[in-house]
Amino acid sequence: MYASLVSNRYLTSRLIPVIAVAAVALCVALVITVVSVMSGFLDMLKASGRSIVGDVIVSSGIGGMPYSEELLAELRALPEVAGATPLIDTIGLLRMPYPAGPQKETAHVQVWAVDPASLSAVTDFADDLYWRAPKDAAAAASMAPDDPRRTLDPAILEDGKRLMQSRTNTPGIALGMHVSIGNARQRDGSYLPRYGWFMPGFEVTLTVVPVSGKGKIAEPREQIFPVVNEVQTGLFEVDRNRVYIPLAEGQRLLRLDEAPLYDLTADPDASGNYPIIGRTPARVTKLLLRAKPGCSADALRDRVQETYDAFADRIESDRTRTASMPRFVQVLTWEQQLRDLIVPVEKEREMMRVLFSLIYLVCAGLILSIFWAIVVEKTRDIGILRSVGASRTGVMWIFLRYGLIIGTLGSALGVLLAWGIVTNVNPIHEAIGSDAPLAIRVTAWSIALACMVGLCVTALRRKFLPTLLWTLGTIVSSAAAAGLTLHHGTLIWDPSIYYFSLVPDKVDWWAAGTTAIGGVLFSVIGAAIPAAKAADIDPVEALRYG
Amino acid sequence: MADNPLLEARRVHKTYRFGALGVEVLRGVDLAVHAGEWVAVLGSSGSGKSTLMHLLGGLDRPDAGKGEVRFRGEPISLQPGSALDSYRNRDIGFVFQFYHLLPELSVLENTVLPSLVRGGASGGRTSIRRDAEALLDAFGLAHRLAHRPSQLSGGERQRVAIARALINRPAVLLADEPTGNLDAATGAGILDLLAERHRQGLTVVMVTHDHEVAARATRQIRLVNGTSDASHAP
Repeated sequence: MYASLVSNRYLTSRLIPVIAVAAVALCVALVITVVSVMSGFLDMLKASGRSIVGDVIVSSGIGGMPYSEELLAELRALPEVAGATPLIDTIGLLRMPYPAGPQKETAHVQVWAVDPASLSAVTDFADDLYWRAPKDAAAAASMAPDDPRRTLDPAILEDGKRLMQSRTNTPGIALGMHVSIGNARQRDGSYLPRYGWFMPGFEVTLTVVPVSGKGKIAEPREQIFPVVNEVQTGLFEVDRNRVYIPLAEGQRLLRLDEAPLYDLTADPDASGNYPIIGRTPARVTKLLLRAKPGCSADALRDRVQETYDAFADRIESDRTRTASMPRFVQVLTWEQQLRDLIVPVEKEREMMRVLFSLIYLVCAGLILSIFWAIVVEKTRDIGILRSVGASRTGVMWIFLRYGLIIGTLGSALGVLLAWGIVTNVNPIHEAIGSDAPLAIRVTAWSIALACMVGLCVTALRRKFLPTLLWTLGTIVSSAAAAGLTLHHGTLIWDPSIYYFSLVPDKVDWWAAGTTAIGGVLFSVIGAAIPAAKAADIDPVEALRYG
Repeated sequence: MADNPLLEARRVHKTYRFGALGVEVLRGVDLAVHAGEWVAVLGSSGSGKSTLMHLLGGLDRPDAGKGEVRFRGEPISLQPGSALDSYRNRDIGFVFQFYHLLPELSVLENTVLPSLVRGGASGGRTSIRRDAEALLDAFGLAHRLAHRPSQLSGGERQRVAIARALINRPAVLLADEPTGNLDAATGAGILDLLAERHRQGLTVVMVTHDHEVAARATRQIRLVNGTSDASHAP
């Protein structure tokens, strides 16, 4: 009972505990804010990744997988599968329509030849098509005056969904949003055309290199495609490199389409052609699958692997088949597939957590030094407490309890502060990125002026401490006022650089909980050494000299 | 006077160590205090008066094997630390020259501190508070309950210190120069207060260098060169 009375009075009757609480709160808030933003970024990255490739990816070599429609039919019949789509994944060169004149830029791209309808059932392909006419007048009015979406033909979205230019009935290409130089990302995450190159409607030339099943490179093949739309997946690496073309065009260009099978052991006819004895099936290099709700990606992966193996065995034993399934295919979950993208961010988050957790040591050191000073100052009080019968453990508990209260209060305030910052991070960020309002600037200069007056008055009175404090106040307030006046806003999380237009604003409550516990723990650790010293103080010495 | 002393020091020695150096402050002091006595321990500065008081109050122990302190016939100097804590809390009340009040606590909170250390009376917090208020009222401090020590005069502070020493109804009050920091009139008031409590049956051991103050006691002991020279009060 007396421990609570004494430690509460120590807590409420002096300024030092307030400083200690503020220090713990700042440490805790800093860690929670950083980890929450990093976790939010990771979550957004993962959500984007899954929306791009589905839950499970089956990949073969460049030779591809035949009988994909039969295999897909079996996979779609599985109770765990919500959707499945075939595609060819290869690399190519894209000759851009710019600059004006005979010389054109060429970009190397990742080519996805897809069936857009089934792709949209597995991924967010249809939703990721960026160029679309506004839904209504209100939506149009909310766009920038020079935003091309205001005047778009509604057909552009359908063209994108079908990868077909409806005006000419020509197979089209959809470019990743950052494949061309024509799109300038704005602060609100929207895009405006740059250099006059609004890509839909322009034609690009795609060159790919067919590779035989034996790995032999054939003559490069090229095709002109009209750009029908552009795709914003949310992952910069994808949107900078990837283009989408219809599956049939991809199969044809890469010689993975259905073809006659010649009997090369027979004699050729008069035209020099060998007799046709069958047809080789069309091939794809990847299958993407979406799991039904409640089915995990890992469970689906195992099911798909089983189905594929059984299917490959059946094809192998079927003598009527003209091709066999590749024996070695990779069946991966989306997390495994995007490991190169996700793991570095996870590592970065953990590294940040560890680095920022070093702040705990600062926190503990701060508490230790404050408490050490308090114990030295309160040596006589310790002697008095011992003289009225307080035990050594009782004296130690006064200071441990003191540290516990400071840690708990500081951690609670830190969580509250972090919650305030993280949930309002976008308005705060927007405010930092914008010019300060006139009223704020005037207020800041008024405070600076008041500090200068205070400085002059205390300097005339020749008092050192007030003069020093007013000097610091003058410097800080003047710097803040000058900063607000001269600075014209910097977006730290610039949407034209980062990939998400908004800073993640969800508190990572697991991190908040562990950080708060850490804050309390290190505060108690910091208080433990001075507390033990207090308990060891000889009461006679304390009363005599304290 | 009963035969068995309430509090007793037998051939007590105490040496303070400063590194390799040892200063023997008490050299076989004998003292027997019977219940209801007011004993003044006289002596010049450095004679070991305060050291003797600390030993009697269980704040310190005699040199190992060199004497003992007994309370109600039990040797307290051989007791473990926790027993000494309890002894200081229940059986002894200390009053110091410089009051030794906790500056952050109010008058009432300083007074109830030993009761809180004890773990509360049977009636709990309310009872403790009532006892302290009654005591402070008797000492003329009813209007000062919420004040901090810094807001009190020296005499008032010493009265608060005495109230704190008495709150647990100890058997013995140990007062170390209780008037040493007060003017003559205020000091006389404090001695009147001790005398009143002594009349009510409190046993008092008072350390002082002032003969006039010592004259208020029923018996005087003189400490000379770390040994006791007992004589009865005039």
